[in-house]
Amino acid sequence: MLTNLIWWSGITLETAILLRGAQLGLLRKYPLFYSYIFCVFAKDLIVLLTYQFARNLYEPLYWPAELATIVASYAVIIEIFRWATRHKPGLRRLAQNLLLIVFGVTVAYAGSDFLHGRFASVSAAIVNLGRDLRYVEGGVLLVMLWLLVRYRISLGRNLVGLIVGYSFWVGLNLINLAFWFQPGNEFSVLLRSLAPATYLMTLAIWCVTLWAAHTDPEPPSESNIERDYELLLAKTQAIFARTSELLLRLTRIRP
Amino acid sequence: MIGLLPIVLVGSLILFLGLRLVLLSSSTHRQQQAVSIEELTKARDALDTVFVESAAIRRIFSSEDMEFIAQSSTHKVQHLFLKDRKALAIQWLRKTQKEVAQLMDIHLRLAGYTIEPSPRFELQLTARYVAFFVASYTLLLLLWLRGPFKAKRVVDYTVGVAGYFCTVFSVRLENVSAPARWS
Repeated sequence: MLTNLIWWSGITLETAILLRGAQLGLLRKYPLFYSYIFCVFAKDLIVLLTYQFARNLYEPLYWPAELATIVASYAVIIEIFRWATRHKPGLRRLAQNLLLIVFGVTVAYAGSDFLHGRFASVSAAIVNLGRDLRYVEGGVLLVMLWLLVRYRISLGRNLVGLIVGYSFWVGLNLINLAFWFQPGNEFSVLLRSLAPATYLMTLAIWCVTLWAAHTDPEPPSESNIERDYELLLAKTQAIFARTSELLLRLTRIRP
Repeated sequence: MIGLLPIVLVGSLILFLGLRLVLLSSSTHRQQQAVSIEELTKARDALDTVFVESAAIRRIFSSEDMEFIAQSSTHKVQHLFLKDRKALAIQWLRKTQKEVAQLMDIHLRLAGYTIEPSPRFELQLTARYVAFFVASYTLLLLLWLRGPFKAKRVVDYTVGVAGYFCTVFSVRLENVSAPARWS
């Protein structure tokens, strides 16, 4: 009964997000995010119908469908990245390089983990692959959040809502998955039972923050500081070398 | 179980940064995001203080005064002097930490506006900032444990890095010539 309620609530919220997005034109603005929501919506609907009417197909279908949604959720990262750095080509390059490094490192870590695993069945292998993909996603999202917070990048309310909901979901999902693979851990049992509720909360965050379309903050106008940035750096380095020497001489303490 | 820790840490950090993003995006924080002229002036004053006070700073950590007190005073006076000097050193360190954090904050806000930041410079600055905080907290610990006269190298390093931040900031201020930008 409770499972059905959570299921239907999820589908209702997803429908509301999609319909409202279409109404406000946000669907065109954030196509990748809404594609992800559509993907989750379709998965939920198919899995629910299978559960109700063809129970024998439910288990073989569930994990591949889950894997597909994890892969689709990478689209949300691309969407966030695209919007957060759209007025900052320099920062975009910096973030792109950092994200590629983190992606490479976590793929290597997760890949080796996956290749060294001995899987009893195809579904077990899919479960592990899904978990590893989530780890990679977590690493990339962490770097992106750090950059956004560090450089205090101005974001529109809709985008903040999108990021917060996504961080909430991925963050809790990572913790959940980590404990999930610890057999006999009682905390994992508790987290597993909370997972559907956290997903509903994520959908609620998205529903509330994307209910109305908000304007994005204006990009700052170009000024001398930007035009002269390269000159500024050259100057900084020269003065730094000179001042460091001076400061060290000044502050040297006699024994 | 050990492999579990990094994943849980990443998950928790994601949640923490997500929450921080909400706080930063709230209306009050958004107002604070613009760099004001008062803030620039204040930071500039703090910068000047670091340079002007360098002789006094040198004096705080110098053992010359302690040697003088040790020769001509009672044990009680020596103890009092050591206690005062330690408090002064800690106060100076706390103040320097706060000033560098403020300068870094202003730099980051300015970098947020910058269209073409240099990745190398930004990474270098981040590394220096982390190093400064590690060094300054080590110094704080040393001050607590061993007093102000036995931390020469860490003091040199901390002041050197603080000077670096001041320089970076000073050059930035010199180049800011568009007052209309600041609210």
